[in-house]
Amino acid sequence: MDPVHDTRACFRALVDAMSQPGTVATSPTEPADHAVLATLVDHEVTCSTPDETIRTALENEGRLAEADPAQASIVHAPDPATCPVGDLTTGSLKEPSDGATVVYRVEDLTQEPETGQTETTLVLSGPGVPGQRRLGIDGFAPADAQALAGAQSSYPQGVDAVLTTEQAIAAIPRSVELEVA
Amino acid sequence: MTDGRSVVPDAESVDDLLDGVADDGLAGYNYAYLDEHTKREVRRATLKAIALPGHQVPFASREMPLARGWGTGGIQTSLSLLGPEDAFKVIDQGSDESVNAANIRRLASRTADVETTTDATDASVIQTRHRIPEEVLDDDQILVLQVPITDPLRRVDGSDDANRRRHAHKNYSKMWVALYENVVEYGEIKLSSRYPVLVDDRYLMDPSPIPRWDVPKLDDADNLCLFAAGREARIYAVPPHTEVEPLAFKDRQFQVERFPDQACANCGSEDTFLTEVETDDGDRRYACNDTSFCEKRRANPDLSKAHHRDGNDHAWGPATDPSVPDGPTENSEGGERE
Repeated sequence: MDPVHDTRACFRALVDAMSQPGTVATSPTEPADHAVLATLVDHEVTCSTPDETIRTALENEGRLAEADPAQASIVHAPDPATCPVGDLTTGSLKEPSDGATVVYRVEDLTQEPETGQTETTLVLSGPGVPGQRRLGIDGFAPADAQALAGAQSSYPQGVDAVLTTEQAIAAIPRSVELEVA
Repeated sequence: MTDGRSVVPDAESVDDLLDGVADDGLAGYNYAYLDEHTKREVRRATLKAIALPGHQVPFASREMPLARGWGTGGIQTSLSLLGPEDAFKVIDQGSDESVNAANIRRLASRTADVETTTDATDASVIQTRHRIPEEVLDDDQILVLQVPITDPLRRVDGSDDANRRRHAHKNYSKMWVALYENVVEYGEIKLSSRYPVLVDDRYLMDPSPIPRWDVPKLDDADNLCLFAAGREARIYAVPPHTEVEPLAFKDRQFQVERFPDQACANCGSEDTFLTEVETDDGDRRYACNDTSFCEKRRANPDLSKAHHRDGNDHAWGPATDPSVPDGPTENSEGGERE
């Protein structure tokens, strides 16, 4: 991963995904969850990741300040089912931007899926979405989506989610209304 | 720090020393001027700002090669976005040619190797001070607005801490009272710029010193708007398709500037924001504030503001002489004022 140009391209993918929830952007390098962490994490923020590869890579550059998931600003969740999303930091009313960013690794992301085509279908509305968008996700159980919706329910406090596959990036900022179809 | 310098042992003057300094131009600078550590900081704040429409997210604003208050926040945001495939446009009060705009454009093209353009429809990133282009922006464009004062509540209370508490609880009563007092004094809400808007029915936001004319363009826009203040070290955002509502009363509605019976002296436009210019012989004339669109209109007077959007002629912005808003304004003299 090129530390300048690939992180910039990854950031632009994140900007597109975050400002247009329900759309799927493409990561410049694979896997996309590693690209997102390499773009956002340094020693100024705390990070929690169970992934040995990314931890070593960040540590070698002196960019890793580890913390428990409940305290970390950026939480890597390669296995969404085991991520304690309800316990993550949600920021304060005065500074809600202190809420965590959770980077999920899922199997597949589909824009506007057919009914029943994917394991979980989310219906999104709110800022960034004209009307409604549907986002299909495989490898992310409806229960995980409910847990995320719960963690985002006390707006403006809450967590922001980035969903990644090998190549794709989607995002569910806390500002959107999330329904599991 | 001996990079690029040869030792001049018997130097007798500064000129002798300077002869030994190799001029490497921009070699040694990181791509897009900022170091990666700074970019990560700006990028994290930008993403949080998008996730919290209208909320002012603090970030570690760095020293830039120009004074704070001259667009340093906008430059940091633009430079952390820009890549070689981007086309960059910089607007200063509607003009591409002001010294500030030209210098920011040159910094970006020298250090980030981007194409620069004056055409709002060609640009992928537009940094702007005090205006939003007349031409409608698309969903693949990003508008970066320079912000001098981030908090709309500072008009009514100088305490940042108290104002942040008000934002936390969506307590905007003090602003409503200030607007009411404005109506009592003048018969209408007289704020020429920095008109307070409510974003996504949650956060009160200062849309930067754009004229009221540009405020309706923020509502349900197709493009992302980022607001960045280098001096105050805050970034905030309005994502596409977000509700942005100017504060107003049922019987004193939000009004844009009116230019009755006026058209641009250069291109004849009647649906653009005009600025009044006094000529050398004392006459007053009106001209388009957005100079790049004015030039296009001069070549083609019938050009629509949405000419580049195939089949999607959702034009934004009002007509030059918009009607006074409906509502029970019988007792108001506001309609005659400007």
